[in-house]
Amino acid sequence: MSEPYRVWALMTDTAVYLQPAFILQHRKYRETSLIIDVLTRDFGRISLLAKGVRKAKSKTAGLLQPFLPLAISYIGKGELKTLTDVEVMQPFPELKGLGLYCGFYINELIGLFLHKYDPHPEVFAYYEACLSRLSDSSKIEAALRIFELDLMDNIGYGLQLKQAAGNKKPINPSKHYAFNIEQGPIEDENGLFSGKTLQAISARDLTDAHVLAEAKILMRAAIDTHLQGKPLKSRTVIHNMVKHTKNE
Amino acid sequence: MHKKGLLGQLIQSFCCLPGVGPKTAQRMVFQLLQRDRNSAKALAETLLQAIKEIGYCQQCRTLTEYSLCEICADKSRDDSTICIVESPADAWIVDQATAFKGHYFVLHGRLSPLDGIGPDELGLNILEQRLASGNIKELILATNSTVEGEATAYFIGELAAKHHVQASRIAHGVPMGGELEFTDSSTLLHAFNGRRNLDTNVA
Repeated sequence: MSEPYRVWALMTDTAVYLQPAFILQHRKYRETSLIIDVLTRDFGRISLLAKGVRKAKSKTAGLLQPFLPLAISYIGKGELKTLTDVEVMQPFPELKGLGLYCGFYINELIGLFLHKYDPHPEVFAYYEACLSRLSDSSKIEAALRIFELDLMDNIGYGLQLKQAAGNKKPINPSKHYAFNIEQGPIEDENGLFSGKTLQAISARDLTDAHVLAEAKILMRAAIDTHLQGKPLKSRTVIHNMVKHTKNE
Repeated sequence: MHKKGLLGQLIQSFCCLPGVGPKTAQRMVFQLLQRDRNSAKALAETLLQAIKEIGYCQQCRTLTEYSLCEICADKSRDDSTICIVESPADAWIVDQATAFKGHYFVLHGRLSPLDGIGPDELGLNILEQRLASGNIKELILATNSTVEGEATAYFIGELAAKHHVQASRIAHGVPMGGELEFTDSSTLLHAFNGRRNLDTNVA
């Protein structure tokens, strides 16, 4: 007679209360509802149905926005849970301009790289840290690179930056390296990356403009390799937007 | 209920409307066919004509059957202020509710990098041409108060700054007749950040 009990346990097990979360993406569902893609701290990326939040008198519509630290409660047994309550955790620096656009980019990265229902509490912490760095317009590039590096490390796509791939020698700051995404740096006079840069990336010390530029090339290659041809829409759009606002 | 035949097909077609499910569609269809065939004919003909003829206004991208919409063609309106809205419905509402006598520009959406919707999809090159023409004094950014709406407003604000045009964002805060106790915290935060000086110049 264990069967009915198990069903009952399953039904109650998925009632979650006040789970820290960020909304990654939302799309309209029917007349008044939303389906939201959420990054939770303890349950990974999940999809929730938020019923009736697009009604004129909905109190939660203003809270169900990306980049706000939320505490959400939900219930349900299937793939799509139902949102029951949402609260804002604490006031959070508001993203503006480029920082905001880049926020969409890291949301897309998470959507592409994290599987649903795969808990990654560390990624949640990195995400939170990245958002607060993005609110400082002078640190946007560094914030993105650090998040990309940490995300890759955490999901098993980490870059090997400590030693040369062939001869296992430690990285020499005065030498140049080519980079194989799967194996790591390969000593090469005409390589794109200096040993100094690789050491700085490994130490997450991304203050130097030169290091930042090389890190961008490296991370872009790494991300594109692992996406295996899947498009990164926000990158194209943001590139386009920056082009529009530049003074000719 | 999936009835075959013309009747079933018609009921199905009505279901494409927002807020109309099979039951309502059924009622509408029977009303039109049983009691009001003339209205049905008029509806069908107008609908066909509208689909064929209504397109976007060349200047503001709102829906119209002419090359310039009524508002853009109206000489008495101020063509140096443009109100930016997300949809033709928004332009309609703003026009009814406010005393705004300028022009509109309809984006038909909002910037949404995750869906691949960027400046080109929103027709911002048309807006940029108008900004570059030098006749525009002010842009009023009336996009929705969502994160995407804010991103859109900020981006268009940057475009305006590039062309030395003043841009303003509509205020958001406590609704009329609203009590603070029942206002959500993020609205309240906006209301506080966007507070303004009380005008107490009583003579």
